[in-house]
Amino acid sequence: MPASPLRVAVVCSSNQNRSMEAHNILSKRGFHVRSFGTGTHVKLPGPAPDKPNVYDFKTTYDQMYTDLVKKDKELYTQNGILHMLDRNKRIKSRPERFQNCKDVFDLVVTCEERVYDQVVEDLNSREQETCQPVHVINVDIQDNHEEATLGAFLICDLCQCIQHTDDMDNEIDELLQEFEEKSGRTFLHTVSFY
Amino acid sequence: AQEEFDENMTFTTSERVVDLLNQAALANSNDSKINILKQVQELIVNKDPNLLDNFLDEMIAFQTDKSIDVRKFVIGFIEEACKRDNELLMKLIANLNMLLRDENVNVVKKAILTMTQLYKVALQWMVRTRAITDKQESCWEMVSDMAGDIVQLLDSDNDGIRTHAIKFVESLIITLSPRMCDSDVPKRQENDISLDRVPKDHPFIKHDSLRDEGKSALEKLLKFMVHPAISSINLTAALGSLASIARQRPMFMSEVIQAYEALHANLPPTLAKSQVSSVRKNLKLHLLSVLKHPSSVEFQAQITTLLLDLGTQQQEIARNMPNLKEFRKRQR
Repeated sequence: MPASPLRVAVVCSSNQNRSMEAHNILSKRGFHVRSFGTGTHVKLPGPAPDKPNVYDFKTTYDQMYTDLVKKDKELYTQNGILHMLDRNKRIKSRPERFQNCKDVFDLVVTCEERVYDQVVEDLNSREQETCQPVHVINVDIQDNHEEATLGAFLICDLCQCIQHTDDMDNEIDELLQEFEEKSGRTFLHTVSFY
Repeated sequence: AQEEFDENMTFTTSERVVDLLNQAALANSNDSKINILKQVQELIVNKDPNLLDNFLDEMIAFQTDKSIDVRKFVIGFIEEACKRDNELLMKLIANLNMLLRDENVNVVKKAILTMTQLYKVALQWMVRTRAITDKQESCWEMVSDMAGDIVQLLDSDNDGIRTHAIKFVESLIITLSPRMCDSDVPKRQENDISLDRVPKDHPFIKHDSLRDEGKSALEKLLKFMVHPAISSINLTAALGSLASIARQRPMFMSEVIQAYEALHANLPPTLAKSQVSSVRKNLKLHLLSVLKHPSSVEFQAQITTLLLDLGTQQQEIARNMPNLKEFRKRQR
């Protein structure tokens, strides 16, 4: 096992559902974890597919909660959004944008290919300073409650396996291959440098 | 009175350092030991660098600590100390050399990262001085030998060590080639040394042999990339390194584009399907970043063909075409 705890980031589009579900589980399991979105705005489902609720990243989960209660308490209770926001505000106060975070991670797990592309592009556009590597892995997760839960467990399994390697850089390739076979999914994987 | 006050301050800082070093020796966890040592580092590197020399031996003694993290900390300390006072390279390079041969790979990797920084610091320091002492001479010899050793680590049987060696080689190639007017210069590296700042008549540092070393490092990196059993992570790292070499040293753009073409035509057979997707995605990203560079103009046809093959949309290619007007303005 590596001497220092793995520094993990989980990233989805709006830092609401998939990344927060994983954040929740990973922090309960003792990981040093942060979560992010890569979108320009935070989007939550609205009364119709073409009418999402759009917030900026400065808005707290609590403010969104209050706003949605005011707009249609029944709808947002019934579709689970209020429940999700309530869970989120117990984890941290507001969504965070990956591109604005200068923290160093060992591992960044993204929840869909578009987010992976944005993360990799952002990391590559930064000026290199220490050349310390960071592994970026994409695990495709559909953006609904059930898939978010299943996905979070998969991410957690993956992080635990990586945490238990003696030498992450050397073993991660093989480990991912095993995970692909076991889970029947495919993962995109790359390395970037700080 | 001011002088007296300063003396007092020095005295107390020094006392605090002694106290902290004692605490570190007795610390019962590695975390708390590192925490204490970090405070010492802050005090003697940043707050009162006059103390750096006094406490060097005490700090370096921790390089034989049982904990991997403490040894990695010592490497970080060596980097900060040498950046603060270049003369310390003469004392500390041998310690770093030992840590580069540590039994633990994570310590070795940290030592490679530090050498990526200190190689440039050492070269700059050598170039700045014209009357080179014997000690300084042997220090540079050790730095050069270590650089050679790290280049050899491209053949290490550990994947992560190879990845770190790639980054070292990238930095070495950029340092040992001239910065030209069309070179991209990352802000943070504006003051870094490169071959154009090495005088041709330096009594000890030989400009031409450095240039040859740089070229040979590039050849080794290119050869490394076409190894049929290269891992997907090493390939990814090498693709990225080549892109930054092309942007910072456009004189090598032709070699880089050729390497990208060869790789695209002949991906290593050992890659799994998802690894092929990851590598292709990376290749696309780096091709777009090279395309953006004004000196890509003569290679535009090749780059565009590759990008189209990789499934890039025409619009995206058009969006990444270099802004030549701005480039000419910059050149003027």
